[in-house]
Amino acid sequence: MTPFELAEPKSLSAAVKLLDPDDTSIRPIAGGTALMLMMKAGVFRPAKLISLRNIEAKYSGIAADANGLRLGAMTTLSALEHSADVRKLAPLITRTMLTLSNVRVRNVATVGGALAHGDPHMDLPPVLMALGATLTVVSPSGERSIPLDDFFTGYYETVLEKNELIAEAHIPAQGTKRAAYMKVTTGSADDWPALGVAVVIEADGKAIESARVVVSAATTKATRLKSAETVLNGKTADDKLLAQAGDAAVEEAEFIADVRGSVPYKRELLRVYIKRAVQQALAGGVQ
Amino acid sequence: MTAARTISFTLNGLPVTADVKPHHNLVELLQNQFSLTGARETCGQGLCGCCTVIVNGKAVSGCLYLASFVEGAEVVTVESLDTPQKLHPVQEAFVETSAFQCGYCTPGFVLMTTQLLEQHPDPDDDQIKHYLTGNLCRCATYPQVIEAVKLAARKRKAG
Ligand SMILES: Cc1cc2nc3c(=O)[nH]c(=O)nc-3n(C[C@H](O)[C@H](O)[C@H](O)COP(=O)(O)OP(=O)(O)OC[C@H]3O[C@@H](n4cnc5c(N)ncnc54)[C@H](O)[C@@H]3O)c2cc1C
Ligand code: FES
Ligand code: FES
Repeated sequence: MTPFELAEPKSLSAAVKLLDPDDTSIRPIAGGTALMLMMKAGVFRPAKLISLRNIEAKYSGIAADANGLRLGAMTTLSALEHSADVRKLAPLITRTMLTLSNVRVRNVATVGGALAHGDPHMDLPPVLMALGATLTVVSPSGERSIPLDDFFTGYYETVLEKNELIAEAHIPAQGTKRAAYMKVTTGSADDWPALGVAVVIEADGKAIESARVVVSAATTKATRLKSAETVLNGKTADDKLLAQAGDAAVEEAEFIADVRGSVPYKRELLRVYIKRAVQQALAGGVQ
Repeated sequence: MTAARTISFTLNGLPVTADVKPHHNLVELLQNQFSLTGARETCGQGLCGCCTVIVNGKAVSGCLYLASFVEGAEVVTVESLDTPQKLHPVQEAFVETSAFQCGYCTPGFVLMTTQLLEQHPDPDDDQIKHYLTGNLCRCATYPQVIEAVKLAARKRKAG
C-alpha cells in the first residue's frame, strides 16, 4: 500500500470536521476490511484516512426498545450476530450473519462500513432495506435522516456527501412480519452472490397484507421492487401470483452482467428467487 | 505525518512499544519488529486465515488490519500457545491427527480452533465447518482438521 496519513479523532463531530467535501483522497475508515482490499489493489490511494475507531462508545453499541433497534455505525457485524436484542427484534439480521463472510471479517467489519461502501453484493443493504431501516447521518451542517430506500444511488455510490458520516441505523422491529433473505452464489458457496433477494411480509397464512421486496447483487445497487410489492399486496400467494410478482420484478430491476452471470441469466434467477423467497418467508421464514 | 509513530500494546502478555507507519498492517508489524512469523500474509484478502491474530480476545485477519489499530490492545499470536516443554492441547491434537501436510495454514487453523472451542466447547461437524469457513488449506487436510478440532475439544474437557 502507498503511504498515507492517519487521523484518530475522539468524537464523531471532530471526525466530520476532518473530512473535506471536495477532496476524495481523504476518507473515513471504520473496520478497514473493504478499504484495505482497495488500497492493496491500488484502486484507492488515500492521502489521509480518518479513523472512526476512537469516536464515542455509543456509536459501537446496540440499543433496543419495543419499536426496534438502534445500531451505532461502528457496531461490528459479530456484535450483531451475537446480540440477543437483534435475535429477538430482527431475527432476519441474525440469520444473515451466518453466511456473511467469515468470523475474522465479522469481528472487524462495521455496520457503517457495510452500508457506506455501496457495494451491491453485500448482504446488509438488502436485508436492512427490506426491514425498513432509516439512517442518521451527520455533517458539519448538522444531522439528517435518510430512509435506506433512498440511500444508494449507483454502483458503489450513495447519497452521502464526502464530509458526511453515518452515525446510526434504526431498524423497526420485525414483530409479526415474516422474512427471508436468499443469496445465490454461482461460484463457490462463499463467493460474492449473483443475486440477493430479501422479503419482509405481513401476512395471515398465505394472505399477504403488505410486502417489502428488495433485490441486490444482480443490480447496480440494492433496490426496492415496488411493482412486485404492488402485485403481492392484498393478495393470496399462489403460484400464479408469485409468477406475476417475478415478472414485475424482472421488468423493474436494472440488471448488470458480470463474471457471476449474464443479464438474461440473472433475470431468470430473479424470477425464480422472488417466488422462493416469498414462499420461504410465508412458510415461517425467520422466527 | 506519514512518518512512523510509537504505539504501545500488550504482545503475548508483555507490554511492548513499536514504531508503525499508518500504512503498515499487523502482519508486517509482528514480522518486522518482533520476528513473529506464525501469522503470515498469504491471500492478503481476508479469505485464508494464515494471518490470524487475536486482538482483544477476537480473531482478526492481520493482513487487513492496520498496525495502528492495536494501540492499547491485547495482541495474542500463535507463538504464545506452547512452552519449550509442552504444546498447547490444540497443537497436540493437530499433531496427533496429522491435520496438516506442509503446515503453512496450521498456525491460523490452530488459533481459530482455540476461539472455536471457547464458543462451542463440544462442536459438531457443521459448527466446525461454519466456524472455519475462512481458513483455507491448499493441502486439503480438511477431514483431519475436523478430527483435530474434536480431539482438541476432548482434551480441553479433560483439562
Ligand atoms: C474476505 C471477505 C469476505 C467478505 N464477504 C462478505 C459477505 O459474504 N457478505 C457481505 O455482505 N460482505 C462481505 N464482505 C464485505 C464486508 O462486509 C465489508 O468489507 C465490511 O462490511 C466493510 O466494513 P468496514 O467497517 O470494514 O468498512 P471500511 O473498509 O472501514 O469502510 C468501507 C467504506 O465505508 C466508508 N465508511 C465506513 N464507515 C463509515 C461511516 N460511519 N460513515 C460514512 N462512511 C463510512 C469508508 O470510507 C469506506 O468507503 C467481505 C469482506 C472480506 C474482506
Ligand atoms: S492472508 Fe490474511 S486472510 Fe489470507
Ligand atoms: S497443510 Fe499445507 S496448506 Fe494446509
